[in-house]
Amino acid sequence: MKKIAAVLGLCGLSAFALDPAQGADWKMDPAGSKLEFIATFEKTAAPGVFKEFDARLRFDPDKPAGSSLEVTVKVTSADMNIADVNKEIRGKDWFDYAGFPQAEFRSTDLRRTEGNRYVAHGALSLKGVKQPLEVPFTWTGSSDGAVMEGELTVKRGAFGIGAGEWAASNVIGADVKVKFKVKLRKAG
Amino acid sequence: MLRNDADSWGAPAKLFHWVMAALILAQIALGVMAASWRVSPTKLELFFWHKSTGMLILALVALRLLWRLANPTPALPAGMPAWERAAAQLSHGLLYVLMIALPITGWIVNSASSIPFRIFWLIPLPAIVAPDKPTADLVALVHGGLFALLALVLVAHIGAALRHHFVKRNTVLERMLPGTWRTP
Repeated sequence: MKKIAAVLGLCGLSAFALDPAQGADWKMDPAGSKLEFIATFEKTAAPGVFKEFDARLRFDPDKPAGSSLEVTVKVTSADMNIADVNKEIRGKDWFDYAGFPQAEFRSTDLRRTEGNRYVAHGALSLKGVKQPLEVPFTWTGSSDGAVMEGELTVKRGAFGIGAGEWAASNVIGADVKVKFKVKLRKAG
Repeated sequence: MLRNDADSWGAPAKLFHWVMAALILAQIALGVMAASWRVSPTKLELFFWHKSTGMLILALVALRLLWRLANPTPALPAGMPAWERAAAQLSHGLLYVLMIALPITGWIVNSASSIPFRIFWLIPLPAIVAPDKPTADLVALVHGGLFALLALVLVAHIGAALRHHFVKRNTVLERMLPGTWRTP
């Protein structure tokens, strides 16, 4: 009996280990990936990028339950392509590079909405504030990997980006559009 | 009377003169405040209005030059000394050059700084030079130098107009005033 139980147990374990619902592990290819943030200045788009970030994903597009996504962003790699602005955003009123050099998004709840569209329900930690965030994305698989792409809008005020007098949204808008394209390949 | 003739300015020429005079004075105030304000939303707002007004002035000066070329220019008073005629021509020429050069150098600074900008929130301003910080810094100095020159020429222009009216007692100033103020 013990033997049978042990065998059954092993079967159960291996079945669990092979459970496709856990999905494959994916690693980001930085060369093919881009993370943009588009603020507005006097109602005109003011684009920027985070040059350094990384995404790790455990995901099966056919069975997204049990998937997880972890994105780390080196906030200090922000570049808005305007020398004076790049100098300003380092400061305490904006990203506060010294205090909060890194941002994170974590989700363990990824769901399909329709076709190749999904939403990752998770939380964004940015400048010491953690807030729930939904990240919609499309998934495009190919022979050598996959691409996830999406965009969403973040309220900068919720994270204290633009403190004090900058909190007013008439000059620098309240909404920041975030656009991402992440090229992934299967890990290991 | 719309068109200029040998003695007087028509209504469009006067309108151009006084609207642009008001815009240029406002523009100087905006520019000086924008440049000297501490970094704040107010500073950005001042720059936004300064840039928008500058592009408006550039558009208006283009129309104004076309109108001037399509019309006779009223003659200077008879008997004006040669140096005064030369000074009048030089200062008027300089004012036109500055009304074009100041907006364009401002435009270059904005382009070289790659600052996204829509004139009065409406018309996207295309970049006329590639983003480059040294270019932006250099042309900003030129822009400031041209402003100093404009201030000098404006003082001369206003001083000369007042001198024509109060000292030489001719019609040079009066004929630029709106019709109802004119003495027959």
